[in-house]
Amino acid sequence: MTRAVLQGWSAWATGREDEAAWRSWAEAPEALARDGRPEAGFLPPMLRRRCSALARIMLTVAFECAPPAIRDEVRTVFASRHGNINESIDLLMRLARHQPLSPTRFSHSVHNAQAGLYSIAAENRRPSSSISAQEDTFACGYLEALSHLAREPEQPVLLVVADVPLAETFAAMVEEPTASYGVALMLASRGPGPELDFACGSEDGDASPLAWPDAAEFLRWLLGDEPRLQLGAGRRRWSWTRAH
Amino acid sequence: MSSSGTRAPCSLDALGMVNALGRGLEEIWPRLLDGDQSHLSMRDDLVPNRSLLLGAVRGNLPPVPASLRRYACRNNAMTLAALETIEDAVADGIRAAGRDRVGVVMGTSTSGVSDAEEAIRHQHETGKLAPSFFYEQLEFGGAAGFVSALLGLTGPTYTLSTACSSGARALASARSLLDLGICDAVIAGATDTLCGLTTNGFSALQLVSDVVTNPCSRNRNGLTLGEGSALFLVTRGGDGIRLRGVGESSEAHHMSAPDPHGEGAETAMRSALRDAGLEPGAIAYLNLHGTGTPLNDAMECRAIARTFPSPPPCSSTKPLVGHALGAAGALEAGFCWLTLHQRDAEGLSLIPHAWDGQVDPELAPVPLVTKGMRAAVGPVMSNSFGFGGNNCTLILEAPE
Repeated sequence: MTRAVLQGWSAWATGREDEAAWRSWAEAPEALARDGRPEAGFLPPMLRRRCSALARIMLTVAFECAPPAIRDEVRTVFASRHGNINESIDLLMRLARHQPLSPTRFSHSVHNAQAGLYSIAAENRRPSSSISAQEDTFACGYLEALSHLAREPEQPVLLVVADVPLAETFAAMVEEPTASYGVALMLASRGPGPELDFACGSEDGDASPLAWPDAAEFLRWLLGDEPRLQLGAGRRRWSWTRAH
Repeated sequence: MSSSGTRAPCSLDALGMVNALGRGLEEIWPRLLDGDQSHLSMRDDLVPNRSLLLGAVRGNLPPVPASLRRYACRNNAMTLAALETIEDAVADGIRAAGRDRVGVVMGTSTSGVSDAEEAIRHQHETGKLAPSFFYEQLEFGGAAGFVSALLGLTGPTYTLSTACSSGARALASARSLLDLGICDAVIAGATDTLCGLTTNGFSALQLVSDVVTNPCSRNRNGLTLGEGSALFLVTRGGDGIRLRGVGESSEAHHMSAPDPHGEGAETAMRSALRDAGLEPGAIAYLNLHGTGTPLNDAMECRAIARTFPSPPPCSSTKPLVGHALGAAGALEAGFCWLTLHQRDAEGLSLIPHAWDGQVDPELAPVPLVTKGMRAAVGPVMSNSFGFGGNNCTLILEAPE
């Protein structure tokens, strides 16, 4: 049950906006750009105006990964370690200064704001989860996507993983590769694409910290020919193996 | 895919809970049955120039162990308070499954934001964040990470945050992790705590009532906010209350308002019935999302009237404990769990709908539970609808 077909992917970071750019990155990986946001010109202006950098990144990779015919039919999982926390921090600073909150900004600060925006933009009424899991956010997002496939094997799941750097106030408290990036994967129980087996376990051997996010490392593995990928810098290890 | 089939039923083996009504099931259950609203309290320190009636958890919470000070926030202390009430069952569950086979799925919409507020206020006044503050207290993933670190677990650990459906969704994911064979037990539930961010945010949205929330009444004018924690030990094959069905939907409508026609709510309820393999007539009781906002109650009653040819007795428990946002779905699944757990030979005692009794003629008619009302033993349903148009309906059932 932890086998899934990866039907497609898309990814975005500043200067790496198409498949060719990611293929050359996978050949010679380096840290991703810290800042930037995609144009997201496909969004209606009213909606785009409300989109943070994170929302633009997530919606851009989601729309690129999901063919128009199934954009409204896929289940979705949005995974982000920090989500809209920068927005919340900003709201907390307003509270500290005894300033009123904007209702719109508050309702767009929830962790599932991007899921809501995708649902509206793609007219998608399918189940959707938004998750966060510290240093294991990518792997747990993948697992939550598998959990949706377990619930409904006939519906592909669009997994969207993205983050932007944490606001300066808190940035020094977290050790991680800082990048503004997004990766989307289309997972299904069958169809065209590589079949991947997923497993999780506890600490076994060293895991050297990466200079780029887990989701990008997954992409690098996908585009290469190593049979197995292991991720996890904390107490947990996550692995993917090509079934064929 | 239906969860029925040949698999052992998904069992909610133990429930730990804390909310405005008390700590632990023995304190909470009689107050629920009584429709006791006396535990709501006023606070004037959260929203400038406004006193709010809230479902606050009063008294001290247990201290987070010093070794886990990075996680020491009020939200996690609340989780700890709920966990302590089921310490033995959780320890047995971990022993049976093994530490690497126990997962943690938590829901929250606040995590430790009240502690971050303090830290930022401190920074505003002194130029430095409060020294007791760590990012793990605020990040959503920390809500699950804390439980895992506390119990020494190495199974998958993550937090779901889909606003007011987070807590219900945590149980749905827990069941799937068991189905995937990734875990043999999952500690799943949700915790939310009162803070300046949510009280000011909901006030700014003009969704908060000045008086106690009054769901389904013609006089309803908003919600009462609350807080709490409910945690379940979830297994397959246990002899606890069953998680029989899960239904989910999105609305593609609006970021902070439900679709007035209630189509998303209807889809969630119908999907849960289909997943459970039940006809609408089988449901013995429905715990409403019932926030007491004009829009929610109108669309929810409309959706119920379409889903059920003859709707079951319904109540909202938010007039008793407040709307605990990210924890609401888990608390209310907990109230359904208790209703089934407390069954006797003659049936179920239902939790009354506490309101002013003023029927809103504009609402689709739905039977509301009155004090002392009983029902035959049967499956019960709980609705949770969240911002961003994220809905989740659960069906629980007593074991045979």
